Amino acid sequence: MKRFTRMEYENPEEMLFGHAKYPVKLGKDFELGAGYVIPELNVAPGEGSEVSKEKMVSEYKGIAYSASVRAVNVGLPSFILEHEHIAQQTYNPDWGGACTAAEVEVLENFNDEYGIKTGLRATPADIRDEEKGTGLWGSDLYIKIMETVEACAENDANIISIETTGGKSVSDYGISRGDIKAILFGIGVLGSMDMEHMWTEIVSICNKHNTIPGGDTDCSQSNTAMFLAGGLLGSDCSHTLAAITRAMGAARSLVAVECGAKGPLKDCGYENPIVKAVSGVPIATEGKNATCAHSDLMGNLIAAVTDMWSNESVYHREEMGGTTPQVWLQTLGYEAALMNTAIQTGQGKVLRDLYTLTDKYRDPQALILAYDNAYRIGQAIVKNGDDPYLRAKAAALEAGAIINEAVDAKKMNLTRFERDTLDNALKILESLPTDSDKFTKDCIKRYSRKVEDFDPKNYEL
Amino acid sequence: MSYKSLEDKIDQGTIFLRYNVKIEGGASKPEDDPDVAEILPTDEPFRPISLTILNQDRDKAIDLVKKSLDDGVSPIDIINNGLMKGMDAVSLLYTKGIYFLPDLMLSGDAMMESVKECEAVLGHKSETKATVVTFVAEGDPHDIGKNLILMFLRAGGFEAIDLGRDVPADRVVEAVKEHNPIFLTGTALMTTTMTAFPKVVEALEKAGLNVPVGCGGGAVRKDYVESFPMSFYGVEAYHCPKLADAILKDKKDWKDIREEYSDIVGEFVPEYS
Repeated sequence: MKRFTRMEYENPEEMLFGHAKYPVKLGKDFELGAGYVIPELNVAPGEGSEVSKEKMVSEYKGIAYSASVRAVNVGLPSFILEHEHIAQQTYNPDWGGACTAAEVEVLENFNDEYGIKTGLRATPADIRDEEKGTGLWGSDLYIKIMETVEACAENDANIISIETTGGKSVSDYGISRGDIKAILFGIGVLGSMDMEHMWTEIVSICNKHNTIPGGDTDCSQSNTAMFLAGGLLGSDCSHTLAAITRAMGAARSLVAVECGAKGPLKDCGYENPIVKAVSGVPIATEGKNATCAHSDLMGNLIAAVTDMWSNESVYHREEMGGTTPQVWLQTLGYEAALMNTAIQTGQGKVLRDLYTLTDKYRDPQALILAYDNAYRIGQAIVKNGDDPYLRAKAAALEAGAIINEAVDAKKMNLTRFERDTLDNALKILESLPTDSDKFTKDCIKRYSRKVEDFDPKNYEL
Repeated sequence: MSYKSLEDKIDQGTIFLRYNVKIEGGASKPEDDPDVAEILPTDEPFRPISLTILNQDRDKAIDLVKKSLDDGVSPIDIINNGLMKGMDAVSLLYTKGIYFLPDLMLSGDAMMESVKECEAVLGHKSETKATVVTFVAEGDPHDIGKNLILMFLRAGGFEAIDLGRDVPADRVVEAVKEHNPIFLTGTALMTTTMTAFPKVVEALEKAGLNVPVGCGGGAVRKDYVESFPMSFYGVEAYHCPKLADAILKDKKDWKDIREEYSDIVGEFVPEYS
């Protein structure tokens, strides 16, 4: 596996929504990151549809149909449907395969009839659980995941993604206690190791079926910090800690690309602007048009360098304006149209900067993901690119430096909680060993004792 | 126009306001908060023990508890008059927005380990008000919310049984039969897992068991939870001890809680307005 030790973008100014260094071809005249932004819709099945394979298939067929009808009715040139599996679909690979086939059929029919460009991203669930002692690699649950990946690929999903959860027990411990060492170990070391294991196999399956290995997201770790951090009045995780956790998540999510993932990276990976700056692959992101799923503090900023604009997820149900697939695809489509108009009129970079500046200083988490700062964190990662631990640590330190510079420039004020946790985290990070084996050994000893569910054997440690 | 010159033109205050920074008052010691002062004991050795919990000092807490036990202080008194008072103060500061989740978790760790020292001398588990069982919905690996509930319930004097993550309905039924809880809490973060809750209720009904099930978490909706019986929608983890008290002392059932949630937890809850 080749690690990234240099940036694929020469400078941050080169980065723009709808443009990736390495676009991904989905079909004839349909590419991702090739000069235009594409909406990506994700819908969770309605309650009760999980009781049988038949109901599931019918549910997903309905979602695909409903979305396609609205897309044509409002004149969208293209869209991607994402299907994030519920656990039942990955426990039963044949369910995942059958749902994929049904969705692809609907999308292709609309393509045939109207010429609308469509594609399907299938995202099997990571059903492994450290708590159950079933093992992470080679376990029955691991095999089920890979069988589901294969079933989706065989049934013509265009893109395969997953949200892997390696290292989550340790990072959760760290996030809920403000323990930066645990967060670094959970994300930078264990998360990166698990990614390498999972993505080597996923890429191999995708290559066999000519399916695009899309990429991962640090949802289970960095988004846990972001959700706990909540809004400005949230009190469960400091927003500075959530910001440096996100920077570490970028060092980890990059591993999928190093294993052969081509993008678009998964929408809920808020670290994606950093990964794009390093690797040049197209990314999906979500922000102001994903309020159906959650709130964030960077709803515009996160659109600045996106290639696919997503709603994250919404329950399949009725709204006044139609079904949720219709309503949310329409909002995504209009935003993508604005971006594409800006590109065609030569105003792309102005819109990119306006998106960025509306949120840049709203919160430390937004600040570090502004494309110029994301680029800086990318540089810190590639400088230490060969060592997953050191690069995650470097990313965190750079994020801390970015926040401190903004404070010094009086552009950002921090609360005491944010200030204290940042100072404390940076002090600890700076004191950590430069040798990754030594760090790993220390952490195995410390967290095997403190975190009940963490078993080093799961990571062959 | 360059990015930098655009940035220099912005008047941040007209675009967004960092209310969190704006509302902060002056720094003060947690024990000086007037509400905390009312909770904390004033006598030895309970005050210093309660302060170790308030200050998340696990090692000092264990040392002081061991020393007090050696001096012949009753383990029950240490738990009730020292450790629990400290934890009550921590919970209060958390609900006031002065303490944060890491404070709560680290204080909870210090309290639980200190309680273990007391129980070793007692020779049995310390007495609790009643038992509550907690679980995370089947298919869901996110358990921080459930861990918060455990912490608040234990701080509130309840025996809280932790069934863990991704718990199937039959396992919940077994635990209810085994522990006879007054209250069951289920949490789910993912948009795809809250459908496990009605299955738990169905399995409980089938087994002839009747226990209020509080369901909550990131993607859980009140209207959905209220679409099946025996359940109510839980909004905040720190509400759990008050809900458990209402079930235990005031004999409230799930229907009462749906009607009186805001009154029971003693605050305005928009979801129940």
